[in-house]
Amino acid sequence: MSKKITTTLTQLAFGAGTALGVGVTATQSIAEEANWSGYVENATYHRDGVGISKFRNTAQAEFVKPIDSVGRWHNVTLNGTFRATYDGVYDINENEFGKNATEPYLGSNWHPEGSATGGPFLTAGVPFPCENDPSLCRNLDDYMDHKERDARFPEFNDELDFIRELYLDATTDLSNGDQLSVRVGKQQVVWGKTDLFRVLDVINPVDYSRHNIYDELEDIRIPQWMLNVEWRMGPTKTFDDSNLSMVWNFDKFRPNNLGTCGQSYRILDAGCFFSSYMRLDTLPGAAFPGGANPYGTAVPIIHDVKRPDWELGNTQLGLKWEGVYGDSTFSLNGLVYRQQLPSLHFRPLAPGIPAPAADGVFDIHFPWVRMIGGSVDYYSQTMDAVWRLETTYSNGEELPRDTNGHKRTDMLRYVIGFDKNQLIPALNPNRAFLISAQVFGQHILEHESDMPDFEDNWIATLLFKGWWQNDRISPQIILAHDIRAGATAVAPSVEWIPDDHWKITLGANIKFGGDETFPWSVNGNQPETYEPLARFTNGPIGVANQEDEVQLTVRYSF
Amino acid sequence: MFKKLVIAMAVVSSAQGSYAATLQDVENSFYPYKNGMPTAPGISVGMTIDQNNWQVAKDVLDPAMLEQVKQGNYTIKVGETDSFDLHPNYIAATQDRLGKVKLGNETGQIEGADAGRPFPEEPSMSDPRAGEKLAWNFKYGYNWGDSAAIYPFYWKFRDMESGKLERTLKFNFHFLNFTHRVNQEPKPAIEPNPSELFRGTYVQVLEPFDVKDTQLLIHRFEDDAKRDNAYLYLGFQRRVRRLSTGQVTDAFLGSDIMIEDFEGYNGRISDMKWTYKGTRNMLLPFYKHNEMPLATDMPAESDGYQFVDYTGKGACFPNVTWQLRKVYEVEAEPVDPNHPISKRIHYMDAQTFTIPRTSVYDRKGDLWKIWTIGQAHPDYHLPKNKGSGVSIDDAFTMIDVQANHCTTGQFKGQVDPELSPPSKFSVQNMRSSGR
Repeated sequence: MSKKITTTLTQLAFGAGTALGVGVTATQSIAEEANWSGYVENATYHRDGVGISKFRNTAQAEFVKPIDSVGRWHNVTLNGTFRATYDGVYDINENEFGKNATEPYLGSNWHPEGSATGGPFLTAGVPFPCENDPSLCRNLDDYMDHKERDARFPEFNDELDFIRELYLDATTDLSNGDQLSVRVGKQQVVWGKTDLFRVLDVINPVDYSRHNIYDELEDIRIPQWMLNVEWRMGPTKTFDDSNLSMVWNFDKFRPNNLGTCGQSYRILDAGCFFSSYMRLDTLPGAAFPGGANPYGTAVPIIHDVKRPDWELGNTQLGLKWEGVYGDSTFSLNGLVYRQQLPSLHFRPLAPGIPAPAADGVFDIHFPWVRMIGGSVDYYSQTMDAVWRLETTYSNGEELPRDTNGHKRTDMLRYVIGFDKNQLIPALNPNRAFLISAQVFGQHILEHESDMPDFEDNWIATLLFKGWWQNDRISPQIILAHDIRAGATAVAPSVEWIPDDHWKITLGANIKFGGDETFPWSVNGNQPETYEPLARFTNGPIGVANQEDEVQLTVRYSF
Repeated sequence: MFKKLVIAMAVVSSAQGSYAATLQDVENSFYPYKNGMPTAPGISVGMTIDQNNWQVAKDVLDPAMLEQVKQGNYTIKVGETDSFDLHPNYIAATQDRLGKVKLGNETGQIEGADAGRPFPEEPSMSDPRAGEKLAWNFKYGYNWGDSAAIYPFYWKFRDMESGKLERTLKFNFHFLNFTHRVNQEPKPAIEPNPSELFRGTYVQVLEPFDVKDTQLLIHRFEDDAKRDNAYLYLGFQRRVRRLSTGQVTDAFLGSDIMIEDFEGYNGRISDMKWTYKGTRNMLLPFYKHNEMPLATDMPAESDGYQFVDYTGKGACFPNVTWQLRKVYEVEAEPVDPNHPISKRIHYMDAQTFTIPRTSVYDRKGDLWKIWTIGQAHPDYHLPKNKGSGVSIDDAFTMIDVQANHCTTGQFKGQVDPELSPPSKFSVQNMRSSGR
């Protein structure tokens, strides 16, 4: 561990030195003390019918250390965020979550049993495969190979995630008055203007195992080692602000963390699907051409995860032009990156045979994606409201198909947002309410009928937030509705700040939906079933339909 | 000089009344005490005004503050009147523009005012737009000079009844004039400025943790009719959001202060009907910071600077001396019938055109808030402020008399262009500074 920390800091120093063009040595003078802040927090969630679903204890410390000017670089600061978490749910509620939390059938946490689970078809997922099934553990190596201890203490892993961020900031003035600004190190780079959805905000992968899609993105983005360089041109004759930036993600690729089977949050229940088997070995020989069953053992759903190794050619690059024009701010973005969601590549028993290979149905790949996009917001004086639009067009994403494995398709995504601060004197004469509405649209441009995702789909969100008692009490309600999936999430909460240190948040998260089925399954074209593909048609809200929770978070900050 | 005087008198339009400003007006406006300090019967330097002798101040304290003294909530010590001379460049800019500035036909329209005090002449009760001219003098005043910072700035929310400190916010505030610059290069304007911004305000919240890393950027336009563009960066969202800025009566970060209250009045000239109510000698909170009994319970500053202390009921009142000043009383009534206030009464300091005292009245006409901004002489403050010619906003208190609650502000005002370079007032700077 200590060698890895040393290596990490050496990487940072090398990266910083390279970026700054100076050697960063241990004798560099330090102008001011570091400014530290942070918090300790307990988040206790109770799930209807299940009991405690989270007992997460977090300690986070952040620092900013100003450094004297380094050569021609000024505003030099070293910044870091460290986080350590212990989730006690695996000790408190070990029957429901953890390595012993077996389920009666695949998807029992969100749908009734269907004809595709049990018997010769899909088994229940193996919780924490690396605790229970060495063969599956090998297959899911470097992707879903968490042990229960890793779920209890998620930051203490090989990637040293307890160092959430550690980067150097520096700025230099160019001869024409422009500025060049550099941020190098482990960081989050956030593009776009959208809440909850990731349209342009795809540079960092995301950890959905913390709390599905509901935690703040700041807390669930997985920081990456990156170089972010900005050329700030400032105001020009035409634009009030104009900036060009480049982001180079030179870290080893990391996919989104979808949650391992046995964890309390596993988006789309993908973790359990990936750790399940097909019991094709139990079929009679007569079911196969030639009269012999070629499957000696159960067939794992996942054979291998092709996570790209680190090499220069596997690093990811983005460019952005951003600025202000009159009453609008805008950006134009381009990014070459790896798809962070898994693409399932079907492995046939033999070429042309529509039956899966005996040693695993799918390999997981993370294909290259090229994305261009942009965003704009506009303040309308007449409406006293802000409109925003964010859109991307991507090429290279792969989506599953029922019998034909996967397909590469172009995708169009957008969000239209509306934000308004509105005084409602009858409710609060002194403090305006925030009303924020969004419609997220996704269009699969090369859709096929056997794709388990709607060709066109929209999700609408609404946030209504108010403040009372000098901003020390803030209730809010968030509604999200997946239109084609017919799934809805309602999340009311109240935040209370008794003083400058304590913050207490009490809320609920209630989901409806998860009723969509898909007219294909592993047992042939049976009447519509849930497994395995309806998880995509129901989306993250629908699949979580039995995860209604009451949530209490208590934080002490310093 | 005589020829200039004649030309100046000839140019001014009769639409503004029959009077044209002269160089003597400029002299009188910026040096009102050159022939002697203001006096008032019964008021002497060194005396204390409290609930036992409040009557002596009934003609020199505004009614709202007088009532606070009468109730025993505050004791005022009278200090010597000091001349707060503004920077010579600002005065010269005023002289150079004599006769060139005029109001448009509508409230909120002005021509020819690109630096200096637009209307240095004495207001007249017979001039129906006298109040508006005084408002323009405030808007284009030398408040914070060409650029400055409050670095740091502590706000405290208090229960006035119990004195309980509910919340402490620590900020850095930065101000920059894009136009109307008289002292710091480039003058008179920063170019390029395609949207014709007048002023920028950039705020960083430093503490407490739940609002830390919040940044706010406000761009105000030369065109008074145009609403501000405002941008908000929230640390936990890591992105800049545009704000709708029409809700200027919104309480800022939960304080007792509306966005429209900042610096005395932070809205459009055209949003109010301005009425000049008269000129008087009054007690206002002007003082020499270094000679006040300063706070000893604040976090230490590395240079030893100490903040103004607070006293009185709930610790809602600044512990500073007040001095007799020449004051213009101006009433501002919102044009919007749905505005939550019915009027503000501003007590504008005639020499500096700051607004150290404002009384705010609710829709029913009852007193709602008492808004006080203490003014420190720049030559008795931080060494870097000496000679800046800026009346330093140094302490504020907003008292909500109906809720019995107050918000106080303790400033470390610094007139230092290096703290507020133009690059700080860009949207990109918010993203780049964000953590």
